[in-house]
Amino acid sequence: MVATILSAGRLATDMLQLRRTIRIGITGLARAGKTALLTSLAANLLAVSAGRPALPAVSDQLRGRRLRVSIAPAAASNIPRFDVASHVAALAADPPRWPARTTAVSMLALDVDVPREGLLAPLGPQRRRLEFLDYPGEWLLDLPLLGQSFADWSEMTLRRLETLNSSEIARPFLGFVRGLPLGVQADEALTLTGHRLYAELLRRMRDEAGLAFLQPGRFLMPPPGAPPPWTEFFPLPGRSPLADLMQVRFNAYADAVRRDLMSPMFGDLDGLVVLADLLSALHQGPASFADARSALAAAADALRWDRSWTDWLAAFARLKLPPQAIRRVAFAATKADHIAARQRGNLIALMRRLTHVPDGSAKSAVFAIASVRCTEDVVETLAGRPVSAVRGRIIGEPRPARYYPGEVPDGVPDDLFWQHRFLALPDFEPMRLPEAGRGGIPQLGLDALIAFLLTEILG
Amino acid sequence: MNAAPEPFLLLEPEAAPRLEAVPALLPTAEPVRWLRSPTLAGAAILGIGIPVLWALWLVSALFDRWGTLGWAGLAILVCGIGLICVGIGRELRGLSALRRVDQLRVEFASGEAERVQRAARRWLQGLPQHSEILPALAAADTPEAVLALLRSGPSQALQDATEVLGRTAALQSVAIVAATPLPAMDVLTVGWCGVRLIRQVAALHGMRPGVMGTLSLLQKTALAAATVAATEIAVNAATHAMVSHPLLRHLAGDVAGAGVAARRMIVLARAAAVACSPILRG
Repeated sequence: MVATILSAGRLATDMLQLRRTIRIGITGLARAGKTALLTSLAANLLAVSAGRPALPAVSDQLRGRRLRVSIAPAAASNIPRFDVASHVAALAADPPRWPARTTAVSMLALDVDVPREGLLAPLGPQRRRLEFLDYPGEWLLDLPLLGQSFADWSEMTLRRLETLNSSEIARPFLGFVRGLPLGVQADEALTLTGHRLYAELLRRMRDEAGLAFLQPGRFLMPPPGAPPPWTEFFPLPGRSPLADLMQVRFNAYADAVRRDLMSPMFGDLDGLVVLADLLSALHQGPASFADARSALAAAADALRWDRSWTDWLAAFARLKLPPQAIRRVAFAATKADHIAARQRGNLIALMRRLTHVPDGSAKSAVFAIASVRCTEDVVETLAGRPVSAVRGRIIGEPRPARYYPGEVPDGVPDDLFWQHRFLALPDFEPMRLPEAGRGGIPQLGLDALIAFLLTEILG
Repeated sequence: MNAAPEPFLLLEPEAAPRLEAVPALLPTAEPVRWLRSPTLAGAAILGIGIPVLWALWLVSALFDRWGTLGWAGLAILVCGIGLICVGIGRELRGLSALRRVDQLRVEFASGEAERVQRAARRWLQGLPQHSEILPALAAADTPEAVLALLRSGPSQALQDATEVLGRTAALQSVAIVAATPLPAMDVLTVGWCGVRLIRQVAALHGMRPGVMGTLSLLQKTALAAATVAATEIAVNAATHAMVSHPLLRHLAGDVAGAGVAARRMIVLARAAAVACSPILRG
């Protein structure tokens, strides 16, 4: 009964076009492939609009209708536009270039016209605006900071640093913090020293230990321009004038996160894509794998999964529709073209075991994708046995390589798995883009992911 | 029990070009090719061959009877065939103009700046009244900018002119239906009005379709009508406003179907414009 009322409400909303903008959040840690996914998504939808068979699963869902997609005008938004053309040109170049590390927020907005079917056909195509936000992956872990106080965050961070396997890395910073006198005064020199030691610690945890759960994200990837003074703080327990100053700066930092990242995008999501580079985590070892898992869980928990009665009240007071709860979640393990076809089922099973959707009405699905496909599937014969592998060209190497990284576990890896090595993922170059990108970007599984996310508007 | 294979990374001995994706193929229906029908081909051979043979036989017989008569017969035959050829040439030109619309659509959708720019110039050659946007077109350096210029310039002007033609035809159809003494003649007169409207819209878009061209255009218009069905709702309101004139209301009230005919004329004009324009609108 409730489902019928909800679907009737959605149909009415659809017919009246009360909600024209669909916001889809992309969460993923650094190097998970957010920029590549957005580039491929935009280029392939534009190719479908031009009649190219770039996304077969989307074409199946359209059942012969012609989708029309265009880059939406930026209007008066103060968020820079996601530069699809330059990213596609870089991938289409010879030799190709992967997108550089994202250093600032940018918005991809697409206008999509979907012809209706059946009795609604005379109403004409429905126009929707799809919005996606690209941002440095390091910043994603700033979202959990919004729900924490400075004291709680400091306590949690220091406890984690003390239990770190590679304690050598954390020793200089922990020595400094533990050595501060009780009731220490708010001194700028102490602030700068503590901040410098903490930022250096975060960098070493990322580069040397391969860890991902590193907060605050802007310490690792500062936004362009001169850093404001409130970005200089560090975790400090107890009560003291210096701790009070750190708390003021922490709160200013949280306000900036709310203003720059949470409000424009993550505050009102319809759909969510959670990207994870599980294969690289498998290579880096158990500590890195567990760390990446908890980082993704913390980021997902910070999002709005359901509407509360206070949301309804606040929206009613402002004469607006209540904020949207997340309706569809796609969990995607990236770089699926780096493993053999037979292993992709295991990768999906592993991703399914690692993820969960909070109770609510959100529908979820798990995918193994390659936004920009680099390899083809081959069978290699080793010691007289056929082995399913992949073949591609490593960047800078004219000779193709045949590659098999090892078995992908179909569940949370046990101790036995970590005793064997899992090969590092090579940097394969992207396949040649048909018609220099106008024919889309070769992908693997991305069409199914897009079809899932857009099910409600594709009908 | 087989052990899992060891991880490996093997380089092939020979260099190879960059990998290419296998293009995905969407299932497409096989088009029906009427020209390959033996029945139609046989009928065409008989329909053209027998009269030609008969004409040649007649000229030959005239020459046998009297030389001057033969020459006169030959002149009449050549003149008639010449005029038919001119007509066929016009038909072919009209058909090629329709085909050019499809080609232009493909080129506009290509996304290649130079190709889109060339296609835009070619389209504007058939619409000299809109050549004032050529300088702006030359400055537009992206396909999106070129298409936006065409949409807001010539395409918009053509759409406005089509609306005027549609409204005029709608008024005429109301008058015709009201003035026709026999209801059975409504179909003929409104049908003639519709065909004339389609040809007017085609002329507006720089085309001069002959009989075959008009038939082809009718077919394309019927297909386009499906996409224009959405305009029915807006057209209902427009027709209602139009026939609310006291005289027209009286006429339309007296003649069942006059309002429907008027509405169909407006939809028909829009569908014909969609069929004739290479610029697709949302």
